[in-house]
Amino acid sequence: MSEMATKLFSWVNKRLPIVNTFERHMSKHPVPSKVNFWYLFGALAAVTLIIQIVSGIWLIMPYSNTEEEAFSSIEYIMRDVDYGWVIRYIHTTGASLFFAVVYLHMFRGLLYGSYQKPRELVWIFGCTIYLAMMAEGFLGYVLPYGQMSYWGAQVIISLFGAIPYIGESLELWVRGDYYISGITVSRFFALHVVALPLVLIALVFLHLVALHEVGAGNPEGVDIEEHLDEDGIPLDSVPFFPYKVLNALVAIGVFMTVFSIIMFFFPEGGGYFIEMANFEKANPLVTPDHIAPVWYYAPFYTMLRAVPDPLGGLIVMASAVAIFFIVPWLDRSKVASIRYKGIFSKIALTLFGVSFLTLGYLGTVGVTEIRKLVSVICTIIYFAYFLLMPIYTKYEKTKEVPERL
Amino acid sequence: MMLRLINLNIFVVIVFSIIILVCSNKIFAAEGGPCKDYGECDKFKYSLNDLESLQRGASTYINYCYGCHSLQYSRWGRVAKDLQIPEDIFFENLVFDKSIKSGDLMIGSMPEDSANWFGVVPPDLTLVSRYKGDDWIYTYLRAYYEDSSKQYGVNNLVYPGTAMPNVLLSLQGNQKLVCKDIPVIARNGGEKRDESGKTVTKEKCGFLEVEEGTGQLSKEEFDNLIYDLTNFLVYIGEPSKATRERIGWYVVFYFLIFTALSSLLYREYHKDYNK
Repeated sequence: MSEMATKLFSWVNKRLPIVNTFERHMSKHPVPSKVNFWYLFGALAAVTLIIQIVSGIWLIMPYSNTEEEAFSSIEYIMRDVDYGWVIRYIHTTGASLFFAVVYLHMFRGLLYGSYQKPRELVWIFGCTIYLAMMAEGFLGYVLPYGQMSYWGAQVIISLFGAIPYIGESLELWVRGDYYISGITVSRFFALHVVALPLVLIALVFLHLVALHEVGAGNPEGVDIEEHLDEDGIPLDSVPFFPYKVLNALVAIGVFMTVFSIIMFFFPEGGGYFIEMANFEKANPLVTPDHIAPVWYYAPFYTMLRAVPDPLGGLIVMASAVAIFFIVPWLDRSKVASIRYKGIFSKIALTLFGVSFLTLGYLGTVGVTEIRKLVSVICTIIYFAYFLLMPIYTKYEKTKEVPERL
Repeated sequence: MMLRLINLNIFVVIVFSIIILVCSNKIFAAEGGPCKDYGECDKFKYSLNDLESLQRGASTYINYCYGCHSLQYSRWGRVAKDLQIPEDIFFENLVFDKSIKSGDLMIGSMPEDSANWFGVVPPDLTLVSRYKGDDWIYTYLRAYYEDSSKQYGVNNLVYPGTAMPNVLLSLQGNQKLVCKDIPVIARNGGEKRDESGKTVTKEKCGFLEVEEGTGQLSKEEFDNLIYDLTNFLVYIGEPSKATRERIGWYVVFYFLIFTALSSLLYREYHKDYNK
């Protein structure tokens, strides 16, 4: 580095804590030396968020948020904009993979007790991110203004109507019109591209700041702060940079390979990533044969349908998401990781996983009597996993956690 | 550690098997297929690199379909370019309205009141291959049959009560629903025979058969015509599809190299703390 550049850097660094920040959060930030692949999905979620923001910015340029032009502007992007199809498919594939990665990231949390003391706030910020993502995804799905955009929005917005007393006015307030129209599209556009991304970025920032304060967990549930070397650095740790960054880089390579296989060869994801009916322009007069949400909402949609009463369904669905927030206080176990928890925790988590996947499948297909029964059973298992957690985690026999990683 | 994982895995497998065994055939029961009375749709495999097929398909579309069905998101010049038809030949032979320019959208020529003619406005078909699927189109266009109870004297197995007349009737000929004697299948899977050794047959209806000599094309030629037409509709549904599948390989290849290099780098650094 020439003398000039060194001087300039030192001038800036005296006024902006570049070196300090880099050391604190990167080169001197200790992370557990032994973790497994489950610990890579957080980095992948961050990458996907960036992909979504960048591709989103480029999509805004040719997109038109009016009732007449929304649908055709998407086709304009797909046909007339140079490589517009690349940008659009990045955004649609990214949306689905964002949820996939975040679901795996959340499952990791349940698997290894990442929410336990002192990481409660990290978990709560994470749950809030998930909530914001659900809203963001829904708003974005309405923008192409295809049949599923229209009828999906119709179903979801009408949920507000189930709230007693204020329901109908709230519904009207959200929609901005007596039926879904260009007004709805343009306000959803504003929320999708400005409001929620700001919220998401702020939440991700808080999620990371809180994480760096308490440090990352590990699959053993060992507290690495217990054994420090003479400099006060945990013995079972490595600096985040370059070791974990390189680890994440490999994961990013694998992830991007999967990403590009999907976006170049299966962009519709078999009708799960882009639903076929959404290639038809929104038509308020024709209801599609069956209205199915995109796969990442499907488990919650099944719960909504499992309850005959609309208000009851809404409460069940909202609780299914809300219950994640209190997990740190539901788990009464002495140990964090599933490796040292007892058999009941293992059974409960497995049943939870199976019922979540089953609920997801059921949300994408039509309703029959037997499916309805299965969805009720799975909804009960889903809630039982959380509500019985204080009991089975407290009384089951756990194994001894080792001292070191 | 290993034992615990195995225990858990056995448990998962048992739970899955029970669920699948108990209710699989009911939970996963097929809903009515998209091809309705026809049964399973015929499979269609597009070939977007077969430019001749696409050119023939475009020609069939513009001659037989475009009169009613616009392709409003597509532009004339783009089709000529993608299908590698020289613009002068393209405009000479396929564009009938001479005021049309290369950059114009293919918005069709149906008047506003066309709903009075068919009961519905003929839909725009730019994206039909994407919301109906290519299998569906390929099957639908070959599943018309004579039905005098209908307005245009035809009905369709794939889309019963369709409002569209069979525009390609003169090419295909008169297709009818016929009954056939088909061999009864015995329990052992073979054809069932009676005591004298003759095959036992049973009359079954619902087969499509073209009356011989009524169409300009043979069955095979007609199937090829529909293949080209469907292929063209797949193209028009996503004109960049061929490009997408071509450059996709390069991108995947790039990320494989990226993964390999980054994992080598990672391993090199990993040595530092894993001694």
